[in-house]
Amino acid sequence: MDIQVDICEGNRDDNSSNVVKIPERLLQREQARLDDAERRKEAKESHSVANENSEFFTKAFNRDRAAIEELISICSGADRALATQTLDEATAKTQQLQKFLNDSMMFLAQYELRQAQASLQKLQTSLAEKRDEALPKKKFAFRSRTKATEQVCDTVPATQSGETVIDGHTPAESSIGKVEETVYSKQCGFSNMDDMVLTKTAGEINKNDVLLSHLTNCKVRLFGSPSTLHIKNVSGCEILCGPVSSSVFVDHCSNSTLALPCQQLRTHNTTSTQVYLHVTSRAIIEDCQGVSFAPFTWSYPTLDEDFVVSGLDRARNNWTQVDDFNWLALGTPSPNWTLISEEDRKTTWEI
Amino acid sequence: MGLLTILKKMKHKEREMRLLMLGLDNAGKTTILKKFNGEDISTISPTLGFNIKTLEHRGFKLNIWDVGGQKSLRSYWRNYFESTDGLVWVVDSADRLRLDDCKKELSSLLQEERLAGATLLVFANKQDLPGALSKEAIGEAMGLDDIKTHHWCIIGCSAVTGENLLSGVDWLLDDIAARVFTAD
Repeated sequence: MDIQVDICEGNRDDNSSNVVKIPERLLQREQARLDDAERRKEAKESHSVANENSEFFTKAFNRDRAAIEELISICSGADRALATQTLDEATAKTQQLQKFLNDSMMFLAQYELRQAQASLQKLQTSLAEKRDEALPKKKFAFRSRTKATEQVCDTVPATQSGETVIDGHTPAESSIGKVEETVYSKQCGFSNMDDMVLTKTAGEINKNDVLLSHLTNCKVRLFGSPSTLHIKNVSGCEILCGPVSSSVFVDHCSNSTLALPCQQLRTHNTTSTQVYLHVTSRAIIEDCQGVSFAPFTWSYPTLDEDFVVSGLDRARNNWTQVDDFNWLALGTPSPNWTLISEEDRKTTWEI
Repeated sequence: MGLLTILKKMKHKEREMRLLMLGLDNAGKTTILKKFNGEDISTISPTLGFNIKTLEHRGFKLNIWDVGGQKSLRSYWRNYFESTDGLVWVVDSADRLRLDDCKKELSSLLQEERLAGATLLVFANKQDLPGALSKEAIGEAMGLDDIKTHHWCIIGCSAVTGENLLSGVDWLLDDIAARVFTAD
């Protein structure tokens, strides 16, 4: 009734001559709209999720779960194609069930939600187990690459070690060594060297990402501006580098001296190392001891140009602001790093 | 209908999504977040803790959580799992030596019950670097083809240039929307 009144008023405002006719038409439209709304509501209610009561949910959920369990139980490894098909169907159904649960989340009590999630989890586990059992060659989860893919793509040597198993155990140490060798051959940088003087020119570096690894007692000079620099497993080295436009990542470094400008410095597992640093955002250390910092002082003839290439701000050097991820206490300074006092700083460098 | 139910319904009405961005340290998570939001990326420091950004995109309200990837922070990742709609896993495509670590962390995440319903987007970041591995190679290394428990997609991108960030997030939104908002 309200609606009718509203319409009449609206009509009067319109100042139309068909005072009687139009409300009728509008009334018809209104009726049609209501019918339509009713129809839609019914359609929606017939939808599974629209039955927003937990009893309905529990029934439907259990029915679907039973169906999936049935699928899993009939599946055997005898016929691979059939097993694959059955398992894929079960997987798809499980996903549907998950979606059903997600849709129903709004009206379920916490307890029911947990129960449903737990049984879904159980389903997924048994599905995965069945997959392992019925299709042993193509196990679920994260395995190392198959032979075919190794041939196609030999650019991912880090996972070629073949021993990685389902629950993510580390590959054998020996295979890592071999793997890393293949990595290094394709990368700009130096690796596996002792007692050497190693130099890269600006032309070689030219915005490449540079990797230095497994170096002992070496003197490394990198002229030019790398885009990133990785230093891994070095000891007793003196590494001097031109401006790095993004981050420098140091891992397992000991008894060394580094001099480098960069945007970020990330230092891990490093001991007794001096860093002559120009950093425009921040330096961090993690699992480090005895790391000391001083401002960057190394220089070479084309340093200015390389600074321009790197895009680093020469005026901003936050070398004193070091975050220690193992020392989150405010107020007390981290014992893992120090600043090098001025008289102890190195001022002359052999190029 | 309790208050909580009403609140949950309101959240759905607003088309709100919660995205969790994880990955090893130095993968470029914060850079992706800031670039996507149109902020300056030259002053980003390694994340000691986490960043949250709420932004509107295609009529969705996105709550993006970017949690630091340092080893010492990874044990805290689980604090952010609850009611995550989408997981963004960021990989440094040029960091070949830690791909194995990266795979292990991802696989343990995917076994998390609280992430069971989340869509997975893998960003093979740093494609602008000359030494970067292709997204296909990263996909192999992560063993993505063996993932049956989650919807997933891998996209090669560069947070520095902004390349493909949008298409990745768009895919993620489409997938989540198809799951979460179909009841409307």
